[in-house]
Amino acid sequence: MTLLKLEDLCVHFPVRTGRFGGKKAVVKAVDGVSLTLAAHATLAVVGESGCGKSTLGNAVLGLAPVTAGRILFDGQNMAHMSADARRATWRDMQVVFQDPVSALNPRRTIAQSIAEPLEIHGFAKSLIASRVNEVMALVGLNPDQRDRRPVALSGGQRQRVVIARALAPSPRLIICDEPVSALDVSIQSQILNLLMRLQRELGLSYLFIAHDLSVVRHIADRVVVMYLGLVVEEGTVAQVFDAPRHPYTEALLSAIPIPDPALRGKRQRIVLQGDLPSPLDPPAGCPFSTRCPLVESACRVARPTLEPIAPGHFVRCRIRAPGPAD
Amino acid sequence: MTLLAVSDLSIQVGELGLVDGVSLSIRAGEVVALVGESGSGKSLTALSIIGLLGDGLTRSQGRIDFDGQDLAAVPEAALRKLRGADIAMIFQEPVSSLNPLVPVGDQVAESLIVHGRASVAAARVQAVAMLERVGIPEPARRARQLPTELSGGMCQRVMIAAALISRPRLLIADEPTTALDVTIQAQILALMASLAAEAGTAILLITHDMGVVAELADRVCVMYGGRIVEDGPVGPIFASPRHPYTGMLLRTIPRLDQAPKGDLFSIAGNVPSPRDWPMGCRFRTRCNRADAACAQTPTLSGRDLLGEDRRVACFHPLEAAP
Repeated sequence: MTLLKLEDLCVHFPVRTGRFGGKKAVVKAVDGVSLTLAAHATLAVVGESGCGKSTLGNAVLGLAPVTAGRILFDGQNMAHMSADARRATWRDMQVVFQDPVSALNPRRTIAQSIAEPLEIHGFAKSLIASRVNEVMALVGLNPDQRDRRPVALSGGQRQRVVIARALAPSPRLIICDEPVSALDVSIQSQILNLLMRLQRELGLSYLFIAHDLSVVRHIADRVVVMYLGLVVEEGTVAQVFDAPRHPYTEALLSAIPIPDPALRGKRQRIVLQGDLPSPLDPPAGCPFSTRCPLVESACRVARPTLEPIAPGHFVRCRIRAPGPAD
Repeated sequence: MTLLAVSDLSIQVGELGLVDGVSLSIRAGEVVALVGESGSGKSLTALSIIGLLGDGLTRSQGRIDFDGQDLAAVPEAALRKLRGADIAMIFQEPVSSLNPLVPVGDQVAESLIVHGRASVAAARVQAVAMLERVGIPEPARRARQLPTELSGGMCQRVMIAAALISRPRLLIADEPTTALDVTIQAQILALMASLAAEAGTAILLITHDMGVVAELADRVCVMYGGRIVEDGPVGPIFASPRHPYTGMLLRTIPRLDQAPKGDLFSIAGNVPSPRDWPMGCRFRTRCNRADAACAQTPTLSGRDLLGEDRRVACFHPLEAAP
């Protein structure tokens, strides 16, 4: 069953550039993304900074304006919903951000922070206290800590508080935007295990936004790779990690250091030349054409389409996955 | 030849110890990684080598010898000469480490001019050549630009160019690629490896990323709670870690090259802050091998590791892998 479906989602931001802001331009942060997240599943959106993955999550949450396209949550289009109508969906959809320090109000106790979404959704006071204890136990926090403030907690415990707050109104979807990136290595695996256990026990769906592909491999069912606002490859974890077909996915995977010195010099490394192009002035044709080791002159003419190469596996590359027009 | 020898270094803020008896050495041309989680003392150790400990932090004991010379005995003026000329440092945040109002070419040239090694004009020419070496396209044009006009990856290259232009013998790199995307990280690591190999520059690499250590380092020192708990050559340590913390840390990292099998291994508890460090072995509150003996402080020794050039600080080290 499909829980979340994006159809041709575009988020374009008008910006002013030039020394005195005299020039107008448009940043196409998300430029026609379609994807499907099944209930009880984890879909990861990966890519480097500036690829549009966080904007995508924000658009789903209603925190970034949708320029075009549809966001179907449970079949209902939320893309241009009024703020009042959206409010009702917030219970079903929560978020966990990267930095638990800035995600928690330092003046509020843990219990107050966790209770906040319940208060917003008009839960009875008597219910709130017991629900706070319940979700604290779920995420492995001792209810004795309910009156402490964030400053008294470690980074991992703070992220547990943020997760407890997201769980409080019993959502069906949690947008996880880099939920373990700010944590110490020895704490990351605790939080990942917690997220996986909560999914099994509560039937949650995750839209998991991350740049760390080693983490994604362990937690996701399907993966979407983004580059300059576009999906360049999509498939199951096995398809994307074991048989990547887009040259960008290949380069990205080959660039990740593996903690095993025995592999040094033995892995084939694709070192990309240059930096990500400016999103204000994206390349004509294929967005990856400026850094692609396979590039041909035809790649710089028209933007390739996302083509199926195997059931459930899609690639946007006119060399690896030619479309009807190529 | 030993280029840098740190012995029994301790750092305090007020009465609170943050680094406790750290000893390490680096030979010319060697890449030594100092790894640890937040609060392990790895960055403080590095900063104290270059004499840049912040306000309130003091070196309470220990000795730092660079090229046979005790750095504590060197007057501040001579230390300034050493910094930038013989010892250079690059930091995690390239953008905040560069002066936003000075063209990047001039910042690269600065150490040559300050140390009187070249005229302003000659230094500028050398700076452009250095920018080209670190892989910046159109170096002459880029040299005239401000840091804000460059991407994060390019700013980190500028930092590396500025650090290396005076051909230092030791480069201290504090999380040099943590703020960068992986494809850019791969470029920077390849650059650092080739510089170490070609120019014989020794590198002290401070990082939390075991992948980066495996990629670049010759030797590794693992820090926990302000102390080195294990050190030795990278290959043997990854193949057969002897300190329980090193072993657990390596097992807890999800690996890109391994298909997932259920839950990840995880280390119980939290990384304690210096105020909460236990007596004796500081890992014992999270360690599954700890017993009453661990209330004493273990010394870093190579007793049971004959011939391996390794040391471990543990009363109950892991058995050697076959």
